[in-house]
Amino acid sequence: MKKALAIVMIIALAIPAFAAGQKEATGTPAAPAATAAPAAAPAAAPAAAPAAAPIKIGATWPLGDITGKQGSMAAQQAVDEINAAGGLLGRKLELIVIDDELKADKGAAAIEKLVTVDNVDVLMGGMASGVALGQIPTMKKYGKVVISTGAASSTVENALGADANWYFHLHPWDYNQGASYVQGWDEIQKKYPAIKLVKLFLAYEEGAFGKASFDQTKILFGADGRYQIDGAPFKSAAQGGGDYSAVLEAAKQYRPDLFLWAGYDADALPLLEQSKAMKFSPGLYLGAPPGWPADFGKSPLANNVMLYGMWAPSINDISPVSKKFYDGFVAKYKVEPATYFAPLSYSAVYVFADAVKRAGSTDTAALITALKATNYASPLGQSITFSPSKVIPNQGIRNQKILQWQKGRQEVIWPFESATAQPVYPFPAW
Amino acid sequence: MANKRNTTILVGLITVVLVGILFWRPTVLIYGLQAAGLYASIAIPMGLILGIVHIVNLAHGEFMMLAAYLTYMVCSALGIDPFVAMVPVAVVTAGFGLIIYKLTIRQAIKAPELNQLILTFGLAIAFSQVVNLMFTSQPRKLSFGYVSASMDIGELTFGTFNFVFVLVAVLMVVGLRLFLTRTTAGKAALAVGQNPNGAAIVGIDVDKTYGFVFALASGMVGMMGAMFITRSSIFPAVGSPFTMKSFCLVAMAGIGNIPGILGASVLLGISENFLKAFRSTRGWSDIVFFVLILVVILGRSIRGEKA
Repeated sequence: MKKALAIVMIIALAIPAFAAGQKEATGTPAAPAATAAPAAAPAAAPAAAPAAAPIKIGATWPLGDITGKQGSMAAQQAVDEINAAGGLLGRKLELIVIDDELKADKGAAAIEKLVTVDNVDVLMGGMASGVALGQIPTMKKYGKVVISTGAASSTVENALGADANWYFHLHPWDYNQGASYVQGWDEIQKKYPAIKLVKLFLAYEEGAFGKASFDQTKILFGADGRYQIDGAPFKSAAQGGGDYSAVLEAAKQYRPDLFLWAGYDADALPLLEQSKAMKFSPGLYLGAPPGWPADFGKSPLANNVMLYGMWAPSINDISPVSKKFYDGFVAKYKVEPATYFAPLSYSAVYVFADAVKRAGSTDTAALITALKATNYASPLGQSITFSPSKVIPNQGIRNQKILQWQKGRQEVIWPFESATAQPVYPFPAW
Repeated sequence: MANKRNTTILVGLITVVLVGILFWRPTVLIYGLQAAGLYASIAIPMGLILGIVHIVNLAHGEFMMLAAYLTYMVCSALGIDPFVAMVPVAVVTAGFGLIIYKLTIRQAIKAPELNQLILTFGLAIAFSQVVNLMFTSQPRKLSFGYVSASMDIGELTFGTFNFVFVLVAVLMVVGLRLFLTRTTAGKAALAVGQNPNGAAIVGIDVDKTYGFVFALASGMVGMMGAMFITRSSIFPAVGSPFTMKSFCLVAMAGIGNIPGILGASVLLGISENFLKAFRSTRGWSDIVFFVLILVVILGRSIRGEKA
């Protein structure tokens, strides 16, 4: 009996471990059959002709999180598309993904392995700023070209320093995002005079993300005295909370024109349900989580909720690149991209491929020069170019978008050049 | 005599405080009681296991999480309501609990407590990781109109749905009391909880009783998992904070004191919401939680030493 039990336990423990191993090897756990087998590639490489050796992209994402999982899936999609079109410089592309598990030490170890064991030509990926901070010393040690898809905190920028010429940051910094929100709301009010914002209330989760969001909102919106700002913290469902009654009471008493909440996707629907129960319906109701829960758009409560983001499937209507990405993703994985990290990571591969083509090699110096000259029409509905930010020399995207859930779809409201719909205002009373 | 007088004074004080809160800010009492109902109804099954099987089940919240995912799948596939799905889900979770007991817990019943903790902690990690692999970390939530039910009293508007958890907690306490004192199986469970060796001597099958109680508690927490999905999003890590909260409530109430869990939950729920009512103390709810536990446990220890 004891032997049998031991065997059962070993098998039970081995299944998740094996699955995690697979995830590290392929980077695309949802569709192992559709991916190459990079784990076998390093062993096979010496036997192949040197001219056919693949160009290796080494990436880290948090694969247990939807952002990282879909980011890695989209990157693999881009790699497969490029390979199907003949590869780069007569060579195939190969994507090697390691799960950073949202941990700084794991992320740093992954960079070390990708550079020293896998001998990758470029580093890519990333989501959490904390992980990026842990990776930076290792990245600096090797000086490989990095195309970063995450890390919004400006502390990362400060840690990189002004001489990080090898670091190409696609995601906007936190201050870029804040500035774009102010600009967006100013322009929306000008274009739609019915929308008037004076009082803003921010419900923010108790952690660093929420507190930083509140501090940024106060600085950016409160700078010239045009807006009145108040806010209150709540414990996110992601941290074991989920009772929003106190924060909604405070918001209701304040009577804001714009109610924003900065929390996680787990808070989205319960917050709306409790708002409805308390009959709290401000003129504009806006959520700013990193992602949205599955099927959020199907809930009737989601209608007319506004959001900040970088991409939505509705951009397919105005961008052929977005449509190509979307159709390819759905065809390959049978799921919709649920987070903007998917098109962002897809873009990262194409930005790299484009630069390699122009540089004619993967040599670091040539690659940096070519990347600086990037002008890539991305599926995000905007072109990606690089120019200096406050600290680093190569900053890509600088703005987020203001969107609104309308009939189950995220529609782009601002910037107007990417708009797919007009705003519905005010947020209907319950 | 002195004890009776002290109790009367305590009850009087509590009543005065509650009435004061009701007039000063009724939402503190309303939302405090609602939170207490949720805490208690999740903690009571853990109290049952700890009181009778004497195991701290660190996978308690993960059992609830598994039941919530099962409910999500059943409700999504069949289009039924979680309150309908909770019956089959509770039965399945009870069966799963029995299997887990037979395969793992039973082997560690006589092992040192640290081994038991490591075992159930391992189970918790295995459960959440398997769900993460199957469903990813993306939260899921089913939307139901009745969750937003509300009531207006004058200018006060508040949600009423969460009172269902208060009802469930009270039913659990009453039901368990009746079960443990009026049924043969319940009396056997009580005897095993108090003295397993003595119970074995009088012919009670201790192992079967442990298995039954573990399955019963798993079924109860499974039922809570089904109801939990009505108010909260679910994701692989959703259960673990409730394990900690449940354990602390059981510790506050005292091992085996099921009605005490309800009392501790009310104290905690109202205290949390009292602090949330003030701008400067809104983020202190976790602190008050642990302060209350320290005060209650220290107070009990000091009283025990004096006695």
